[in-house]
Formats: sequence, C-alpha cells, structure tokens
Amino acid sequence: MAAFTAEIVYRGIFQKNLAARIVRGIVLSARKSGRWGIAFGRYGDSPQRNGIPAKDFAIVADTKEELEQNMARYEPKHVDVTICVDDTLAKGVESWAWYGLQPLNRLIVPGGTLLITSLQPYGDILRDIHRKDTPFTMALIRARASFSGLWVYKEDHTEVRILGALAKIVPAFLSLDAVCQAVSEMEWGSDLKVASARKAYDRLESREIEAGEGNPETPYSFELPRWWEMREGVSIPAIPLGKPKEGGKGYVPERNPYFKKFSTRTMRPVIDFDTCVKCNLCWISCPDSCFDVMPDGTFDANMESCCGCGVCEAVCPVEKCITMVNESVFDDNASQWDAWRQDKDAYRTWMIDKISNTQATVRSHGFRFRGQYEEELKSELDAGGQAITAGIPGENAQHKTV
Amino acid sequence: MAVETKAAQAAEDKELLISGSEAVAEALTLADIDVVTAYPIRPYDTVMQAIAKKISGGQLQAEYIVAEGEHSQFEIVKHASMVNARVFCGSSGVGWAYAMECLVVTPSLRVPMVALVGNRALDDPGAFGVEHNDALFVRDLGWMLCWIDTSQEALDTTLIAYRVAEDRRVFLPLAISADGAFLTHSQAITMVPPKEKVDRFLPRYDRGDLQLHPDNPITVAPQVNEDWVIEIRRQTNEAMKRATTVIEEAYTDFRRVFGRGPENPWFEEYMTEDADVILIGMGTISLPLKVAIREMRAKGKKVGLVRLRWFRPFPTDRLVAALSKAHAIGVIDRDYSFGSPFGSGVVANEVRAAMYNAATRPPLVSFTGGLGGREVTLEDVHKVTEMCFAAAASGKSDVQTHWLGVRE
Amino acid sequence: MAETTFPNATQVLEPFRGIKRVTMEEYFTSGHRTCQGCESALVMKLMVKAAGPRTIVLGSTGCMYVANTTYYTTPWVVPWMHTQLGSSGSAALGTAAGLKSLMRKGKMKAEPINVIAFCGDGGGADMGIGAISATLTHKEYNSLILLYDNESYANTDIQLSGMTPYGAHTTFSPPGKAKRIIHTRWKKNMAGMMAAGHPECRYVATVCASFAVDMMNKVRRALTIGGPTFIHSLDPCPKGWDYDPMLSHELGELAIETGVFPLYEVEDGQVKYYGKTKSIVEGRPRKPVREYLLKQGRFAHFTEEDLAYFQAKVDEMWQWEIPAVVPFRRLDRAKAALEVK
Repeated sequence: MAAFTAEIVYRGIFQKNLAARIVRGIVLSARKSGRWGIAFGRYGDSPQRNGIPAKDFAIVADTKEELEQNMARYEPKHVDVTICVDDTLAKGVESWAWYGLQPLNRLIVPGGTLLITSLQPYGDILRDIHRKDTPFTMALIRARASFSGLWVYKEDHTEVRILGALAKIVPAFLSLDAVCQAVSEMEWGSDLKVASARKAYDRLESREIEAGEGNPETPYSFELPRWWEMREGVSIPAIPLGKPKEGGKGYVPERNPYFKKFSTRTMRPVIDFDTCVKCNLCWISCPDSCFDVMPDGTFDANMESCCGCGVCEAVCPVEKCITMVNESVFDDNASQWDAWRQDKDAYRTWMIDKISNTQATVRSHGFRFRGQYEEELKSELDAGGQAITAGIPGENAQHKTV
Repeated sequence: MAVETKAAQAAEDKELLISGSEAVAEALTLADIDVVTAYPIRPYDTVMQAIAKKISGGQLQAEYIVAEGEHSQFEIVKHASMVNARVFCGSSGVGWAYAMECLVVTPSLRVPMVALVGNRALDDPGAFGVEHNDALFVRDLGWMLCWIDTSQEALDTTLIAYRVAEDRRVFLPLAISADGAFLTHSQAITMVPPKEKVDRFLPRYDRGDLQLHPDNPITVAPQVNEDWVIEIRRQTNEAMKRATTVIEEAYTDFRRVFGRGPENPWFEEYMTEDADVILIGMGTISLPLKVAIREMRAKGKKVGLVRLRWFRPFPTDRLVAALSKAHAIGVIDRDYSFGSPFGSGVVANEVRAAMYNAATRPPLVSFTGGLGGREVTLEDVHKVTEMCFAAAASGKSDVQTHWLGVRE
Repeated sequence: MAETTFPNATQVLEPFRGIKRVTMEEYFTSGHRTCQGCESALVMKLMVKAAGPRTIVLGSTGCMYVANTTYYTTPWVVPWMHTQLGSSGSAALGTAAGLKSLMRKGKMKAEPINVIAFCGDGGGADMGIGAISATLTHKEYNSLILLYDNESYANTDIQLSGMTPYGAHTTFSPPGKAKRIIHTRWKKNMAGMMAAGHPECRYVATVCASFAVDMMNKVRRALTIGGPTFIHSLDPCPKGWDYDPMLSHELGELAIETGVFPLYEVEDGQVKYYGKTKSIVEGRPRKPVREYLLKQGRFAHFTEEDLAYFQAKVDEMWQWEIPAVVPFRRLDRAKAALEVK
C-alpha cells in the first residue's frame, strides 16, 4: 500500500487533546521519511460532548496525488488501523452526529489492525467487540484509559506509546526512528517520551482475530427516510408520555428509540436496592432521565439511556448504595431491579463482586483539583512503577492496588 | 392596468381614494389577520400606520406589536404563524436586511407569512427612494416574490397572497414588493370589496399537523447534519414548484368571486400582440413606459411592454412564449448586480437565462435605471427603444448594460 | 389544569411541597446527546416537569438546541421549536401573542398554555438581550424566558461570552506566556438588570438545578404570576469548565456557598433570598471562592493574585445596597468607601 489510513476512536472532550496529538504525531512522523499526510476530525462529531464517542483520522501517502484521493471526506470508508484509547468503546460506537451503533472494528480492512489501550485480557475485550467477516489483528498497549479535559492535560505518555506501537504495526510508513525524531521535536515532546515510545514498540502485544470471532449481536441500526417520507416543516413527532411500571405504580418514561446513549458510558451505576432510602435524589438529579420509578419506590437506571456521568452516586446520601463501576466488567444492559427482584441473594453476590472490584471502581474521569493528574501518575508508579524521571508512567497500572 | 371594474361589482365594492399602503391595510382587515408587528422605516411603515388606525378604530382585531427591531419583528410573526395565527409583517431596505436571519428560516419551516417590502435603496448612503435589491435578497431562498404597481393591485394581491401562501400544497412565505413613494405614498381610487366576498375567496389558515400546540406535540427544526439537509431543501423546492399551479388557481378564483383581476397572473402585457420591441420592467416603472409606448405607437413604432408581477416562482414558459414574438427585448432593471454577466441587473440576467433554451432568441438589451428612486423619464424610454430597434436591425444583443438618467 | 374562557389567565401550578411530591411524569426525556453530567439538560428536564403537559417550549440556538434535538432524536414530550440565537424574547412573545389572538377571536379553544423560551448565556445575555428586554415590557402576554447560563458559547467549542467569569480559560481566551489573563471583563448581572430595568415584569428569579425543588417552584411561580417573567439559571458545564462530570451537582452548590452566584427572586419589586444565599445576606460566612474555582480546569492557570482579585470582586457584590442583586450604593456609603481608601 502506498497510502496508510488510521482512525482514532476516543471519548469526546476527555480525550480530544490526546487524539489530536496522536493524529498530528502520525503525520509529522511520516513526514520524517518524506511522506505527505493530513490529520482531521469527524466534522459531525464537533462540537464534541463529554464522553460521547468521537473520531479523528490520519492519512499518510507517498505522494500528494495519492493523498488527494483521501481528502475532502467526513470519514474514510476503510482504515488500515483503528486506534482505540478507551477499551469500553469495544461495545460499539454511537457518535452524537450519526444513527445506530457502529462496531469499533467496522472500518478495518481485511488483515488490518485494531490497537487498543487496555488492561483486560483478549478474551474479555472480544466478548464486546462485534465479530467481523474478515480477520484482523488485535494489538494491545497495557494501560489505563487516559482521561483529562479541555484545558488541563494528563501527561501520562499515552500519545507517544500509541505512536511507538504504530511504528511496530506499519513500519513501512512510520519507522521507530522517525517517530522518535518527531516526538522529540513536538512542543510536548521530551527524551522521556521518546523512551516511552521505544518501550511501547518493544512491548506491543498482539493476536490474530479470526473471521467470525467476537460478539455475535447485531448492532441496532437506523434507515434514513427518503425526502418525501419526511414530515414537512422540518418537524418530527414528539416522544409520547411514559406509563406506570406495573399495577398502576411507579413510572417509566418513553424514551427516544433512535438514540441510545449507552455507548457514551465508561462507568455505570450499580445500585443496592436493599439500602436505598427512596430519597428521589438520583432520579431528580439525572440529566438523562434514565431512572425508572419502580413500584416499590426504588429507582432502576435504564442502561440504554444512562451515559454514566456519576451524578447519581455523587448525590446519593447512602454509602455504597450507588457505586460507579467500569463498563468493561458488564456484558449487557439488563435491568438491575429485575435481577434483584428475581433473586435478592444472587443479586447481592453479583453486586458485591462488582463494587468491590478495585480495578473497575478506580475513577480518573477529568479534572477535580490542581495537581490531581500528577498525583494519579505518582500513585500508579507507587504501585510498582519507577519514578517519573526514569520510568514510564502507567506502564505498571495493571499492578495498581487501591 | 388589467383591472376592469364591472358595474355589478362596483355596486357592492366601496370606492376609496387611498395609497398603496392603505390599500394593503384594507386587505389585511378583510383577511382578518391575527398578529401584526411594526417597526419604523420608510417607506413601508405607512402600511403599519394605516393598520394602527384600523386597530384603534376597531375595524381590525389583531395583536398589534411594536417590536424593538426588524429582527424581532419577523421572528414574532414567524412564531405566531407556527401556532396557526394569520400574520403580517414588512420592512424596507436595510430594515429588511436586518431581518435577514429571520427571513431565511421561514421557507424550510413552511411558514406562510405575508410581508410587504416597500422597496428602498440600501445604505450607504441613506436614501428613501426605490430600488429593488432589498426584496431581491430573498429570491433564492424559497420566498415567493411579486411586484405591484397600483393601489388596486396592492389590495387584490394581498388577498391572493394569503390564499396562495396558506395553501397546504405551498406553505411558503410571500413578499409583496411596492415601489417606495410612487406606490406607498400616493393615493388612487381603489375598489374595496365587502367581507362576504373575501370570505368566499380566502379560507381560514389551518396549519394542521404542522401546528405547534400541546394537542399536536411535535419537535420543529431540530439540528441536522449532512444526512438531512438536502432532503429538506428538496421539500422546499417541490413546494415552490407546486406554487405555480396554486397561483393560477387563485387568480381564476379571484376573477370568479370579485369579477376583476388579470387573465395572466404572472405578467401584464401591454400592446405586445404586434410589437417589434418588447420592454420589460417590474413595479411602477411600467407607468412612464406605457406613456412612452403610446407616444411611439402614435409615431408608428411598434413597442410593447411586459410588466412582471411574479418573480418567484418565475413564469419561464409563459414569458418565453410572450417574448419570442419580438424582434428585440429591452429589460429595464431598477436594481443592480455588480459584476454579474454583462453587468446587468437581476431581471435582465433572469430573462437571459429563461430564454436560453428558446427556439427563437431575440436580441436583448439591458438597462439599469431609476436607482434610488430617480424618475425614469420619457426621454430615457425613447433612448431605450432606439437602442432596442438598433439591436433588432443588427440581430445582435448588446454586450453592455446601459445606465439610464445618470449624469455622464 | 383550570379551564377558562379568558385567554390571559395562567395555569394553576401549586409549588411542590418537598421532593417527594414532585410529579413523576417526564416531559423532557432520554434521547438528547448532551455531555455526561450536563446540568443544562437537567434544567430542561426540571423546567418542563414543573410546567406540565400544556406547555410550548421555544429553544434558541445553543447546546440545548444542537445537542438536545438532532433530527429524529428529540427528547421532548411537549411541543418544542427552535428559534434563532438572539430570538428567545421574540419567540416567547410571538407564540404567546398568536395563542392569545386566536383564543380571543374564538379560533382556538381558550385555555392557559405555558409559553417558555430558553436561551443560553450567549443567546440571552449577549445577542438576544434586546429582544428579551422588549418582551419583558409586554405585560399582556404570559411567558417565561429562562436563561441557562453555562458561562460560555459551549456549543461552538467554548468561546467566551458576556457571562464568562473573569480570567476563565476559553478557546477565545487561552492563557499564554505573554498574557495569562485575556478575558478581563466581569460577568453581567442579568437577573438584577432584568428586574431593575423592567418595572412591569412581575417576577425575576435566579436558580441552580442543584436545588431542584426550589428551581421547579420558581418556574411554577414564574408561569402563574401572569405577564412576562425571567429566570436566570447557573449551569455547571463539565465540558467548558473542565471538571469530572460527577461533580456538576457539587459545583452548583459551591457557586452558591462561595457567594459567586446568589439565589433570589424579585416578585413585584420585593427581593427574597433563598437557602445559603439568605444566610450569607444575614451575615453568616461564605466559603472562599478558591474552593469553587480550583475545582475547575478553566481556572487552573490562576495565580494567588488572580484568586484574590476574584474574591475581592465577589466580596464587593455583597456590599451592594441590595446585596448581590443591583450594584448600587447610597451616596454616603460610596463616600465612606472612598474615605477608607
């Protein structure tokens, strides 16, 4: 191939600056070997929303002519490498500007590569990633998803580790030396970051994924109507009123059937219905109206509409009644309340298993106070890493104990 | 003028000496509009002064809102129309420009508002006189556009405007253009029909399933991306196409009910049957043209006039048919389109485009005149005609646009 | 909902007596595409929950337009319509006038229908302030204009607005080596301005969704008092303010507790303070503003000097003749202030 296309699938805002660094890094690295490239974001994803999946792209070609073939597009139709910087996106992507759930690996060409930052074993990730009728390679960088915000960046070297790994995956376009040279020249580059890139190159893990391997579910889709099928006056029907849950008790709002927000979620609330004091605070404070009112006065978070902001945990007055748990440890969007009602003991066992998972309940979800990111990096290093002056931040994250 | 008042109707109609603006106000009273918004700018505001009198006099029951600017003036009626109110608004020159954001949204929302544009030159420099560029701002946006040249036509066209705009097949905004001063500020004998007649012609506005009301819960104008826009534009385009039929129907019905009004809604033809040269213009410029044409006919020169009433939708086929007969066409624009093909005004360029596929294409000479309200004199018209006859003789179109009445 | 033949009557909406009494129905539900922890989306939900089903909502351009209602993915149960960025005032006025006219002429069933127009801080305090001001003088038309203030043009990538706090980092005010602070203007006092400037507007209030019941009851009061009314809501914005979305609620509380934002209403000229604001006015201590500012990435570049300036400006606000409402001082006090210097 004389042209190479990569997409970065990331969390809107939380990883906006990270993704921008990666696509710029790809193009500037390739330039070191005389190639031409462009970096752009999916226009439809802008303005981005916190957590809502977004995409950036980098295209590199031997000549300007080859590059032109790939320009003036919202989104390439095929990519050689899909880079995913948050493994909870493995469940699929519903950008805020398109319709339906799109598998993470949808655009990967046969034999292409899916590069993910994750602490999960292959098998766990594959339970989420939709199966494809062509084989591809899954490559892993062992790291926790790097989240920050618009203004304060978390310098955990994720961007250079991605670039180092890419040098391993597509050496024909990005040589390791080219990457290192480009990194050292970046306004955010450093010798330590160059070292991080080299380590990522050495330590990249990968596995072939067979055709048909992975999550068998068919993601929900949406067919766009023709012009004469659309209502005139740019009008659409409103959402109908909701109904009582059962026996005229409780309340379940109708929800928009075309946009389900769960692919925005990185952590979900796990609810202890036994300790719930029915104070209504989670329900009234939820910006996504995702709590259904149960006949017994407790509240069940609808997992198709919950985007995982965590406000419910923040406002809940009861210790551990609502706990945010990383999305990666769940396999479906089933109702917690139904499970609890069916078998309270089984539910308690399940719930305790989830909320006592120290890995899955660690929260690094944007800015909380000045100096926080430095502390987070240090605490990860304290869990077996080396001082930031010598070691690679995050490389020992999987050993982290809280 | 194609308005012939039969004695029978005259008995029922009131005969009033009123200005074009007052004639529009009479029509609005007969149409029983529900919400009207005002903001001062000459010359259109005379219609609002007339409406204010109708309100204070009790002849018209409507919410009469004096806005704090044209932008709000048009937004207010847009939203009133969404809940099913029959609305009226208007402006002139830079006021119309100030409202532009609110003008562009109405076609896709399918808001059948009727507006009066008292044509006025655009700033700078500030000037009160007529130019057509203000109304022409919206020519590409899904607004229907027509020009009138007498008080009677002002009244009749206002009634027809609601009938057309509020037809469910159309639901597009409509702007009636009236030349500043010559029409808005001068009074003429006008026949005002009784309400019963108007009620027979103009049904009540019904937005149906597009009405914004708790009994019809809809979401209107959600944000869209590239997946939707072209389909929505296509819908507006189809509505504009359907407007052609609806306008024909409306004029036929108008003649049936009121016993007056033109056979051809789209343009007035004056002495064109045997004309060697046909002049084209919009609005009150037709009046000096007619005088000059009579003079030239007296001298044996066969000249005729086509006065365009409807500019959007543009009457392409009928216009081509009417013009193909001539040996030369002279288009007099009371507007400009700097840097356009041949430096012509908007009408000349549209006529050229319309004629492109015509079997016979007479030479066309384009003129710009009467800007800023300057009178188009008989001398001007004679000059125009001579150039057109010259073009007819040579069989060639003139490649430049001639400016009339400019101090060289 | 009371039936009436008098078009200018308003609905009967009693205040909710406690969170347990809040109606269960949702009139703004799931389907919107706002950020995790979007406080403004919560404001929309509570606003229509308080207003009920016989309501028309007009939304001017901004986050709550663009993110809320992508084609086919509306969250609205009640009728909703977009209006232009600066048009919330005109939208409220036009809708109310249309309804009133049709009801008065018997062309539409006469009943009180709530008309609410919302705008962001850009649409309301910058571009649309003229139209809002005009609407607040049209006392014969019932409407509520709700300004949801997330303190930036958050939908277009966080540019500063007339409501962005001093010194905040936005894409139009990036802190740099040469200039640490680009945005040196102090935020407009919208609610105070609307109350002071429109003597016939019977109700102006400030709210924060962190205090949900108070917020909903103020919406209900605004919809039942008659005539045009105005509510200013302060909405923490995880995207533009740069904080963990989980903290939206907490930041709302901190804004009140530090005295950066007051909770009050002005009904027929009478000022009434609420909650923490009330105790601040009564002289109880405020939390230092740094506890609020330093939880937000947009202030991460602040020096001690910047924090001190911000604190001083907030302190000054509580010295006003009518504390935190209108920035007037009696002459003698102004003199006294000068003598101190």
